[in-house]
Amino acid sequence: MKKYVCKVCGYVYDEAVGVLDEEIQPGTKWEDVPDDFVCPVCAASKTEFELLGETEPPVEALPKAATLNIKGLSAGEISAICSSLAKACEKQRLMAEMEAFNELADYFKSKINVEQDKTLEDAAKMLADDLLNGFSTANSAAKQEADRGAQRSLVWSEKVSVIMKTLLDRFVKGGETLGDSRIYVCDICGFIYVGNARPEICPVCKVPGFKMYQVEKR
Amino acid sequence: MPAYRNIRLCGKDCMCLYVCPTGATNTEDSIIDASKCISGCMACVTACPSGAISMIPDTYPAEQPKADSVVAAQRALGLSKVLQWCIASVVAASSDNATTRQFATAIAKSNLRMAEDILREAGYMLPQSDEVHKLLETLENAAPDFPKDAINLLIKLNSMSR
Repeated sequence: MKKYVCKVCGYVYDEAVGVLDEEIQPGTKWEDVPDDFVCPVCAASKTEFELLGETEPPVEALPKAATLNIKGLSAGEISAICSSLAKACEKQRLMAEMEAFNELADYFKSKINVEQDKTLEDAAKMLADDLLNGFSTANSAAKQEADRGAQRSLVWSEKVSVIMKTLLDRFVKGGETLGDSRIYVCDICGFIYVGNARPEICPVCKVPGFKMYQVEKR
Repeated sequence: MPAYRNIRLCGKDCMCLYVCPTGATNTEDSIIDASKCISGCMACVTACPSGAISMIPDTYPAEQPKADSVVAAQRALGLSKVLQWCIASVVAASSDNATTRQFATAIAKSNLRMAEDILREAGYMLPQSDEVHKLLETLENAAPDFPKDAINLLIKLNSMSR
């Protein structure tokens, strides 16, 4: 009997145990688990599971030329940096500084060159490229430099991206297939949960569920 | 270095009220009165059985250095998340379908959270850090129609704690 682990939240499917709530009997081989099976904890699709015990591929060395291209920051990036620093000030109880960073974040947000004709399909394509290229480049760099902070951010955002891709692909393909499910977004890591009840903790960053906010239909 | 109470952890054990020499912890809104709090006293922090009180530091060490390769890769990925945030925000604001607006709002929020976190790890974690100082100074020079007061306040904070 084998075990398969969800790459997003770490839930383990044990063939010997099955998932009784989902009517998957003990002894059900992974191949025989239905393709529309989703992780009982985080709703990741079956393709996001891997055999437990399989090792990660070795880190590939990066060509130096590809890594040393530090360009200027755009308005959108500065806005995101400032809204993140506003939260840092809030944690330090520097409330006036928090407001100042939020003011800067809003200012730069208003300076973003908005492309009106882009659709969620375009976002889905960029996301696919992140998962194919962006994360592997960033992961290699972070591992090479033993930068645990960067690695942490990448582990979280890659998991969030995987789930987002599943949701976006489903949405782009089938239109409104979310039904009447509620949508929650983790305020710490951005994990999107589609379901009926707020999770007790975020399956990705493990923050208590009260930091996952429901997105209302308006 | 004043004390701060996390209201989500506070079990109303009241030990902080008993040990505080100035009554700073006894407030109707649960926020410790910084004007009465004796900086660095720690009495409430050690007495609290719920671990709900901590000290807010006055100074911070230098931020951990970032390698150029990490900065470049984090920025590239961060930029992608920023662009997806923008696309989803436009859809969330302009779609005539309520479900699409709801879904796009979630996608936008999620992308902004990821962008913030990824870019934070490109050397912008601490408001008092050198990188943030450099960034603030560039911003000041670059934009004439800028919220000046905000930037001045932040540069002051940044210089004071270095």
